[in-house]
Amino acid sequence: MSTDEVDIDTDGCGVDAAPYVLGALSEAEVAAFCMHLTTCAVCREEVAVMGAVVATLPAVAPQVSAPVDLKRRVMGTVQREASLHATPALGASATSAAHPRARAWLGWRPALAGASLVAAAAALVAIAIASGRSGSSVRTIRAEVLAPRASATVRVSDGHAVLNIAGMPQTTPDRVYEVWILRTRAPQPTDALFTVSRAGNATVGVPGALDGVKEILVTSEPRGGSPAPTRTPVIVAHVS
Amino acid sequence: MLADEELMQLVYQSRADAFEVIYDRHADAAFSLALRMCSQRALAEDVVQEAFLSLWRSQAHYDRGRGSVRTWLLGIVHNRAIDSLRRRAVRDRGIVDDEGLEERIASPQRTDQEFARREEARQVRDALEQLPGEQSRVIELAYFGGLTHVQIASMLDQPVGTVKGRMRLGLSKMRITLVDPAEAR
Repeated sequence: MSTDEVDIDTDGCGVDAAPYVLGALSEAEVAAFCMHLTTCAVCREEVAVMGAVVATLPAVAPQVSAPVDLKRRVMGTVQREASLHATPALGASATSAAHPRARAWLGWRPALAGASLVAAAAALVAIAIASGRSGSSVRTIRAEVLAPRASATVRVSDGHAVLNIAGMPQTTPDRVYEVWILRTRAPQPTDALFTVSRAGNATVGVPGALDGVKEILVTSEPRGGSPAPTRTPVIVAHVS
Repeated sequence: MLADEELMQLVYQSRADAFEVIYDRHADAAFSLALRMCSQRALAEDVVQEAFLSLWRSQAHYDRGRGSVRTWLLGIVHNRAIDSLRRRAVRDRGIVDDEGLEERIASPQRTDQEFARREEARQVRDALEQLPGEQSRVIELAYFGGLTHVQIASMLDQPVGTVKGRMRLGLSKMRITLVDPAEAR
């Protein structure tokens, strides 16, 4: 051990900031640390400072050119999907115009509709308008949840949403929950991947603005998330 | 010429042409990082493809307050690479040697921006190299190797607290070197 080294008290505050910004915490540790960050200004500052250093590290990698074929593949997908966002011709069938992912998704709808959705009957879209700042409002939307005894609400404020979940089953170690947003056709993935606490609770920010979003969905996916849903949603919140 | 942040506004509107400019500007950096982490071209390509398509499909993620588009994108690449590495449990990869990279950029266009990036890369490399070996090693194993602190502790046969301490010390010293090189000496 070098002379300037110190062993860190692994239970102390701030010990996880460095491994967190380096991506060296397990998923469970990330979830716990993120929860801690919501109440600890010291760790938030530490994360900001060390995160800025870590953001420079990609420069250390030897610089190589991305393969030409890679661009072809990425842009091919992007251009196909961009064309789907164009206004469909009059009389065009929504299903026939949909992306293959969208068709797969539509196929899940009956299964979802037939499932015993907790709270669905009680409050398909229970919206509480709370008083907010002038010109803004806060809505709380009760979501449909597949799991018995679980519940989920979406709090919408200033065009952004936060998902509050309680009583959800734990994911297995090789899986995570993934948040999706649905605007017109296929659900779009987000980078919001999460696990729940031992009690099944989680608070998850839905990335991005809610403009045009009809539904917020959650599915169980393999670790690292999926580009398209692979399972039936376990949570569905009708935003508009 | 539109800045990345302005282009992102167009990407929000599903403008493939704006996305293509973003891709052209950052694909090399993204692939370089992914290849450094994954050591396998096919894996690195998958990671970069996933990252860019994630950017395209989720569109509204970018938050100016959290840094540049490049930093944000490279963060996505880093996370995806870690996920990929852990998912596939690739633990036998070595460090990529500079000499082994056939497509290394020999003499890219010498724009001011490129010059600034090369200078930044030199400074960051220097800052990392100035660290004691045990500190730079845990940082590299974590950031580029995708290993957790527990795995690193096991690999180095050191207590977890020591590994965390080295990470913290190393990053703190790098910050000092990058912000005020004189103080670091």
